[in-house]
Amino acid sequence: MYRYDEFDAALVQERVEEFRDQVERRASGALTEDQFKPLRLMNGVYLQLHAYMLRVAVPYGVMNGAQMRRLGRIARTYDKGYGHFTTRCNIQYNWPALTDLPAILSDLAEVEMHAIQTSGNCIRNTTTDVFAGAADDEVEDPRPWCEVIRQWSTIHPEFSFLPRKFKIAVVAAEKDRAAIRTHDVGLQIVKGADGGTAFRVFVGGGQGRLPHIGQEIAAAVPGHELLAYLTAIIRAWNLLGRRDNIHKARIKILVASMGIEAFREEVDRHFATLRQEDLRIPDDELARIQSYFAPPAFTNLPRQSAAFDRAVLADPDFARFSRNNVRRHKQAGYASVIISLKPVDGVPGDITDAQMELVADLAERYSFDEVRAAYEQNLVLPHVRLDDTPALWRELLAAGLATPNADLVTDIIACPGLDYCSLANARSIPVAQALSKRLADLDYQEKVGPLRINMSGCINACGHHHVGHIGVLGVDRKGEEYYQITVGGSPDEQAALGEIVGRSVPADEVAPAIARALDRYLEIRTEGERFIDTVRRLGADPFRDAIYAGEAADA
Amino acid sequence: MKVITANRLTDGRVIYVAADGAAVDDLSQAAVLEVAEAEAALALAAARPDVFVNPYLVETDHGVFTGRDRLKETIRSAGPTVGNSLNHREPA
Amino acid sequence: MPELQLLESVQNGPRLNVTTLLDEVEAAAAGTDVLVLEFDAFRDGRGFSLASVLRERGYTGRLIAAGKLLPDQARHLRRSGFDAVELSPGADLATWRRMDEAFDAAYQPAIDPAPTIWRRRAAARAATPPKPEGDLHALAEKLNAQVAGADAGVILKAALEPALGLRTAAISSFGAESAALLHLIAEQDPALPVVFLETGQHFFQTLQYRSQLTAKLGLTDVRLVSPDAAEKADLDARDDLWKTDADACCDLRKTRPLARATTGFTALITGRKRYQNADRAALLPFEVLDGVLRVNPLANWTSETVEDHLVAHALPRHPLVEQGYASIGCHTCTRPVETGEDARAGRWSGMDKTECGIHVGRREPIAA
Repeated sequence: MYRYDEFDAALVQERVEEFRDQVERRASGALTEDQFKPLRLMNGVYLQLHAYMLRVAVPYGVMNGAQMRRLGRIARTYDKGYGHFTTRCNIQYNWPALTDLPAILSDLAEVEMHAIQTSGNCIRNTTTDVFAGAADDEVEDPRPWCEVIRQWSTIHPEFSFLPRKFKIAVVAAEKDRAAIRTHDVGLQIVKGADGGTAFRVFVGGGQGRLPHIGQEIAAAVPGHELLAYLTAIIRAWNLLGRRDNIHKARIKILVASMGIEAFREEVDRHFATLRQEDLRIPDDELARIQSYFAPPAFTNLPRQSAAFDRAVLADPDFARFSRNNVRRHKQAGYASVIISLKPVDGVPGDITDAQMELVADLAERYSFDEVRAAYEQNLVLPHVRLDDTPALWRELLAAGLATPNADLVTDIIACPGLDYCSLANARSIPVAQALSKRLADLDYQEKVGPLRINMSGCINACGHHHVGHIGVLGVDRKGEEYYQITVGGSPDEQAALGEIVGRSVPADEVAPAIARALDRYLEIRTEGERFIDTVRRLGADPFRDAIYAGEAADA
Repeated sequence: MKVITANRLTDGRVIYVAADGAAVDDLSQAAVLEVAEAEAALALAAARPDVFVNPYLVETDHGVFTGRDRLKETIRSAGPTVGNSLNHREPA
Repeated sequence: MPELQLLESVQNGPRLNVTTLLDEVEAAAAGTDVLVLEFDAFRDGRGFSLASVLRERGYTGRLIAAGKLLPDQARHLRRSGFDAVELSPGADLATWRRMDEAFDAAYQPAIDPAPTIWRRRAAARAATPPKPEGDLHALAEKLNAQVAGADAGVILKAALEPALGLRTAAISSFGAESAALLHLIAEQDPALPVVFLETGQHFFQTLQYRSQLTAKLGLTDVRLVSPDAAEKADLDARDDLWKTDADACCDLRKTRPLARATTGFTALITGRKRYQNADRAALLPFEVLDGVLRVNPLANWTSETVEDHLVAHALPRHPLVEQGYASIGCHTCTRPVETGEDARAGRWSGMDKTECGIHVGRREPIAA
């Protein structure tokens, strides 16, 4: 993974000092809260319902053991002993004091981490496929490009006061495991005409009040023109994006209102006159960054592992874990292991300081000192020997980190909701917990197969409910918490927005309604058909009937 | 009746304004105001950004939140209803 | 780097709000050599793009920012092509100046001419050619004279002196006595790179000890270095090369990986000591090996000195020490020592080998 040199380290230190200065000026009154707010947001500091919230960047989801250990220490020292991983692969702390923040940022800087631009109207953390470098369908590893984008976008003088936030995601395969079509800009690495790296560029995706699926704006931008092209896109939006209404300010609104053709022309006009040679990534710099992402020193192993196979036969619990949480790796004898942060009755995405310390240790011992944060709010150890997987599983089991539900119905993506967030209309965590308790039976979950439920506590859709196979949205009906259910969304290369099935239902009816929908699915599916495919085949009606069947019975 | 609530600048915690203008953690110690005097009291709090961040008025009735945002204000006052901070809640 | 000019009086010249469309701004700029762009709100970032575009498309006149702006935006204004800012009444010049200078370098190209971090990196690489070995021998001699009789901390500090222009890393086996050197290093620079050769054949206890000691000492740059996968597949696919040719095994798992990991470093710190075996009896604090300065701060330490240091600083010990291991390498070639043997007698015992080779200098490549 990337390691800082003296320039990277100096910049992060200078940022800590700048923020310290800004906190002092806020305390002394030299800055009003209105002036201070965008400045603190650009350092990841929100003011939430109960306290400040700090969102620490995990650049493209990659961490090493030392960093994970430090995140645990920060949770223990400055917070309430836990952290929360988000749908943008960052980690959030819910209780830091403003006065502690310079010290926290300093602690982070020691392990080459920061909270720069994890919030605010600027370019946010670039995310990618959690299996980058391990997946066997990649054109090339997307992470060096994510690091290039990270550096280019950090403290960008022209793009720090945008109309709204700007999010970029990168994948390197046809299969979209980073939901790039739901981002402001989505990048897919392809082979250019000359055989070099090129980017298929999507623009205008987004969730929120008015969700959009990104549209292709360019089929193959050559790698060395990537930053110039991104500059042209963001400049076009910066100049034309609406600033009168925060709900109409994202680039998705501009693209929708201009139309993709007109927007492309505007981008091309800017592209033609900006100084592209300046923005061309120097070859030696790209090579330097790429060298940090060279594959680890894999041992030459056979594809099959006798130890793994024996353990599968001997222990049905390990067998289940291996079926759901152990993913194929391009290197023979290795696998990627998903650490689910969705135990039944837990808080989706939360992890304690002790668990973080353990995961750090496991990363060092089992996975070449690397651990990843996933879009699904889980963690992944990317490079584990199949031989070692039984021992790893036993250690995870002892720490409550071995829930074998990856991509199953209780692997719920959920925002923190009204328990934490001042924007929320309704709570999401208790609803997610009720759902996962109701559906806890693992045999049932495996029978249902892969099914993603996404939950958002408000229309800002931080839980990405629009692209859940089943989505749940908390709404406020006259001060009471109600939940709208959607069906048929999808975040991947077949991206689609879910359809609202009907009136919102009260909190205690969500789990029974979804359970009915799942039973219905089991009745009507064809052999081997996943839930999302049944919805595509038959539409939302069969599920609508099942979800509201309870009401009919009451009436 | 109204109370004034805000977040405390230093640690972001939920606070209320007491009768003497002090910031208090506990709703039970908050000054309960008639509508007529509430705006003036709010202006005083707003003039102290070194303590009160974004103060605003909330409707209450005998210590219970009424009004549109009652659930949110209840959660602000009592803390999260679920999750990993439950065991760590500081005493009021 | 030209500073952003801070102007305290209202400026003359055409004045446009940043809400003005680009085409109109360009038209206005074409007919003037001074232009003021007014921000109604500091959040309105259009001004930065307008300035950037004007400059890129050839405007060479004076560009002044005015209106509601924060001192924290000084740098953004300057780098986007503004020459000056017309300050609001009551603005604090000192804060503007301070925020303009808050960052020494920037990653991305912008309108300002200062070289980006990318260019500065390239320049730094080009500017430091590898030191010829002759210089290093002279340096080693000078340093040995300088530190004669001094204690380990002083030797280490001399090696870490920035003025020498060395790029330094430490090598550690995280073995029986490693805690002493690592502790001295952590006291002076916990961010110093520490290279650990992950041979794939370590005792499990060594790996656990490494984690424990790294955390306790607060070392932040421990680098695990493994053998090249392709070489290993060719030369030692069954992990049994140590039985037939231990030299070749050490070359594969230690010497060559170390050479790869330390390219670019001009100085390497080790924990070697004279007392450890006969081959090391003449060890000096500074020596030159294969074009790299080797630093041995503990050269004069005895096993008692090590023990005293571990006790005085309550440093954790390698768990195998109390099982009788005085020197700990790979589990394949390490055994406990008997009383009266020297400390490294348990290494490659029964073989005609006393050093793995990482401290001995380039060996001839083995025949394929």
